[in-house]
Amino acid sequence: MRITFVKKIKLDGSFCKKCNEVQQKMDDAGQMEMIDEVLIADERDPSSPGMELASLYNVAQAPFFLVEKEGEAPVIYTVYFKFVKEVLNQKTQEADELKEILNDNPDLDFL
Amino acid sequence: MADNLVSTVDLDQKLSAQTPQEILAYALNEFDNIAISFSGAEDVVLVDMAYKIAPEKVQVFSLDTGRLHAETYRYLEKVRNHYNIDIDLVYPESDAVNKLVREKGLFSFYQDDHKECCSIRKIGPLRRKLLTVDAWITGQRRDQSPGTRAAIPVIQDDKAFARPGDSLTKFNPLANLSSQEVWDYIRSNDVPYNELHDQGFISIGCEPCTRPTGPGQHEREGRWWWEEATLKECGLHDVNIKK
Repeated sequence: MRITFVKKIKLDGSFCKKCNEVQQKMDDAGQMEMIDEVLIADERDPSSPGMELASLYNVAQAPFFLVEKEGEAPVIYTVYFKFVKEVLNQKTQEADELKEILNDNPDLDFL
Repeated sequence: MADNLVSTVDLDQKLSAQTPQEILAYALNEFDNIAISFSGAEDVVLVDMAYKIAPEKVQVFSLDTGRLHAETYRYLEKVRNHYNIDIDLVYPESDAVNKLVREKGLFSFYQDDHKECCSIRKIGPLRRKLLTVDAWITGQRRDQSPGTRAAIPVIQDDKAFARPGDSLTKFNPLANLSSQEVWDYIRSNDVPYNELHDQGFISIGCEPCTRPTGPGQHEREGRWWWEEATLKECGLHDVNIKK
């Protein structure tokens, strides 16, 4: 299995808030050891590796994870807690995952 | 998966030029296990359109947060009877609601923000429901909240709610419609609508978090009005993603 973690640099040159939060959580939990490669999606540079990957997989959010397993189609995760649960097989709190989904998809509260 | 995603993007471009009915027809034809998310408001047009296209395939669900207006409950029943369809009411986990209310009371969203409550009362049940389908249909429109909905595609690969190792397709057939066009459809087709609309409500959600809006106000101003609008910053700006 190969895992790529994509973080975003915003137009003002700073990392996005969620990217920093996710990075911190992963550092604290020792999960960065499971990451094979970190790519940057630099909004100022459409040809940056992370932006290229986002374009290839039609991902509109950052951070995100690309999980590749031999003989299987690659899978994109845009929800950190879903990635932790399904790929890293670590326990998560449902409340955290639901809040993350809503934060990333504020339109959903209109439903 | 990359191939699927590319085709979803291509499809979005193709479907975006089509009418909501054509988009719905495509969705209902492509998926057998597909459900319409009905909020109890003007997205009833989806139910009406789908019923006229393929009545035998209409599967509708609503998120019953337990905090809806009495008018909305009456309206859900009216729609159920009008079209003679089942509406699957999906409820929040009682333990989660219990914990929230015990710890923070019944109106914590006025002090914190609405997200914790919405997560428990809407997103949790929504996820549970979506784990049972292959595709879903919403009434989301681009004009509902320009800040967050401006980029709503007609069809998308829903990564947030997909089953592990599986895909979930989301359709937004009304994405390109304006509020005026939706209401033109409702009136010209005699579609039943929520009586709250006659009381000045444009956007309808839970009772404590919804209020009527005045002339010239955007419908978003009728929801969570005590919160300041915040800029969403996790999106990758389309202008910078090479197509």
